[in-house]
Amino acid sequence: MKTKKLFTFSDTVTKENIKEVMQQAIALELATIPTYLSTYYSINRAQDQDALYAKIHGQLSQSGILSPAKIDELAQELKVDILVYSNKAAALIMSVVIEEMLHLALACNVKQAVCQTAPDLMGIGKILSFPTQLDGHIPEFQINAAKLSLNQLTTFLQIESPEPFEDPYKDKQLLNTIEYKTIGRLYELIIACIKEDFPGPYDYRPQLLPPDDSGRARPFYSQNSMNTVHYDREHNPQFANEDESGGLLGVYDAKSAIEAIGRIIEQGEGKSDDQQHILEWGENKMPVPMEIVDGKAVFWKGDYDDTGKELAHFAKFLEVYTFGGYYQEKFSKIHGLDDFFSYFVYDTDANPKIADYTASNNKALALCSELGNAVFAYILLMIETCYYKDESTQYDLFMYGIHKSMIWLLSEVGNKINKYTYAKDNEAYRGALTFEPYSFEQSSLRPKAQIMNLVDQLAKADPGWIWATQNKYDSYFPALPDVGLDYSIIADMPKVPSTPYTHH
Amino acid sequence: MSELVNRELHVCMGLNSCKNTGYSGNNDCAGMGDCSTAVGHPCHTLNECKGQGGCGIFGTTEEFCHPGQNECRYQGSCGVPILSSRFMAQGPNKGLSVWQLARIRFEEKRKENDEPFGEAPQPYGPSNDYVNTLRGTTGQDYSSCGQSGSRSCSYINNPAERKVAADLRVLKMEQESAEKLPESLSNCKPKKNGY
Repeated sequence: MKTKKLFTFSDTVTKENIKEVMQQAIALELATIPTYLSTYYSINRAQDQDALYAKIHGQLSQSGILSPAKIDELAQELKVDILVYSNKAAALIMSVVIEEMLHLALACNVKQAVCQTAPDLMGIGKILSFPTQLDGHIPEFQINAAKLSLNQLTTFLQIESPEPFEDPYKDKQLLNTIEYKTIGRLYELIIACIKEDFPGPYDYRPQLLPPDDSGRARPFYSQNSMNTVHYDREHNPQFANEDESGGLLGVYDAKSAIEAIGRIIEQGEGKSDDQQHILEWGENKMPVPMEIVDGKAVFWKGDYDDTGKELAHFAKFLEVYTFGGYYQEKFSKIHGLDDFFSYFVYDTDANPKIADYTASNNKALALCSELGNAVFAYILLMIETCYYKDESTQYDLFMYGIHKSMIWLLSEVGNKINKYTYAKDNEAYRGALTFEPYSFEQSSLRPKAQIMNLVDQLAKADPGWIWATQNKYDSYFPALPDVGLDYSIIADMPKVPSTPYTHH
Repeated sequence: MSELVNRELHVCMGLNSCKNTGYSGNNDCAGMGDCSTAVGHPCHTLNECKGQGGCGIFGTTEEFCHPGQNECRYQGSCGVPILSSRFMAQGPNKGLSVWQLARIRFEEKRKENDEPFGEAPQPYGPSNDYVNTLRGTTGQDYSSCGQSGSRSCSYINNPAERKVAADLRVLKMEQESAEKLPESLSNCKPKKNGY
C-alpha cells in the first residue's frame, strides 16, 4: 500500500522557518494520537473471564496430553496472563495517548507564543491518513493504524525512540551511509533557535494554561482516568500515570518555551543523561526486549521521565512489547492453544478505509466510521478554536466538548465499531475506525449539524444507535458546543443554567 | 424530570440534607438517606444539574477532591451513585475511597452551619449489591464509567471465592481510606468556583 508522507523534517531551524517547523512538530504530536488510539480500540481489555477460562480449558483438554488437575491449573494461569496483560497494555497505551494530547497542547502553546501564530490543527487533519510516515525521519518507517501486535509495537518504539536507530533492513536497501534523526533531535534544533532568536518576552495570545491559585478553573488536562488504571494478578489497581509527571505550561519567554519542549522530550523518550533502554534490533530484525526477572521487567534510571517516577513513552511501549513477546512464546509452546494476541485483540485490518466498508455493503459500519472521523475532526476544531478564545470559552469547549468527545463520543464509536464485520479480499474482518480526513467544508451546514446528521443516519441504519437520538441521552452528542469553521460559537449551546462561564 | 422539581438532589447514601430526602424517602435525619436521588448518569460531563457529579474515575484532581460539589450541569465529575468500592484515579488521594471523602465533606459543611446529621446507613457507603436490593434490580452494574475491570472483582476462578476475595479487597481499601481520611482532606485545596 502506498504511504502518504505527512511532512518533511527540517535539517535546520531558523527564525525564518520556525513557524513551519513548529507546525511540523504539532503534526507529529497529532499523528501519534490516532495511531495509538487505533491500537487501543483493538484491545478487548475487560472480557468475560469465565468464557475465556472455558475456551482455554477446552483447548487444553482437546490436546489429551495433560491431567485434569493440570489442565485446571494451567487454564487459570493462562487466563490471568491474558487478562492482566491485555488490561495493562491498553492502560499503558491510553496513558501515552493522554500525554500526547498534552504534548500537542504544549507544542501549540510554543507556536502560539514564539511564532505569534495559532496552530493549524484542521490543516493537519485534512491530510493525515494511514498508512503514513514521517518523511525525513531517517530511516523512514511506515506508520499504520492497526491492531495490537509485536509489529505495531515496533512502530510505536520507532516513533518514541530516544536515540537514532538503524534500519534493520538497510542491507537489503543497499544503503551504505545513513544519517539518523529522532523526534527529540528535531526539538533540540527548535530549542537552539529559540535560545538564539526568540528570547522573549512574547506578546500575549491565548494558550491552554495549567491551574493556578487565581480561582479560574482550567480543567484542560488530567493525567489519569479509569482507562489508565489496570490491575495486577491479585487484582490490585495500578496507575499508569504519575501526578508529578507534569501538565500544561504557559509559554511567555525562551525559558518557559524550552521548559515546555523539554517536557515533551522527557515524557516521550526519557532522560538521556542516565542509562536507558534504546531501540536495538535482534537477529530476527525485531526489537530486543527488556530483561524479565521474577515476572517483572527490569527498568533503568533513564527509562523514567524527569520526576524519576513515571516511565517515558518508549519504556512503556518496550514493556508492552517485551511481555507480548514473552507470552506469545509461552503460548506457542503449549499444544492446542491459539496465538496469544488472538485471545484479546479484535481481528481488524491494517489501515482500513470507509470504501472497504461501503464495498462490502455494510452501511452502518461505513456510517459509524464516518461519525468517528467527524468527531475526531471536531475535536481538532475545538482545540484549534481555543487558541482564538478567552479562558471562559476555553473552559466551555473543554468541559462540554473536548473531554466529552474523547471520553464518551469517540470512545463510544471506537469501542463499538468492532461489533460490525465485513469482508475484503475474501477475508473477514472486524470494523475499526479508519481515521481518514473528514471535511466539514463538504457541506454548508455547521460542523456540529453535520455530526448530528451522521448520528441520525447511523441510528436509521442500525437501531443499536437509536439511543443517541433520544432526549434521554441529550447529554451526549446534542450537548456538544456548536463551533464553526470560522471559530464562531453559538451562544448558550449547550444550555447550562447558572454557569459562571460563557461562550465568546 | 419531575425529580428535578420535587426532590432534593444528592449523589449518594448519607449525603441528604433533610428528613425523608434519601432515595426511599423514609430517613429520619440529614445524612441518613439510603441512596442517591440525583438524576442517574454514568460519568464525567453527563450530569444534569449542580451538585450531581460523583467523581473518582474521570475528571481532574480538583474535581476528585470535591465529589458532588460541581457548580452546574455537565460540569460534574463521575457518575452516581458513588459505590463504596469506587476509588480516586489521580491526585494526592489516588486509590482511596470517593464516598468517604464526599461524606466527610458533607459532615464538615453541616458542622460549619451548626446543622445536625445522623449516621449513614452503611459506614463506608453503598455496595453494588446494596443498591440493587434497594432499587429492586437484579445484577445491575451501578459502578459507572466501565471501570476497566472493577475493583470489586478478582481473577479467582470459583465465582463464590472470587466474590469473597473481592469483598475483602474492597473492605481493606475502605478501612485504609477511613484511617487516612484526615490526611485526604488536608491533601485537597479549598474549592474555588468561577471567576
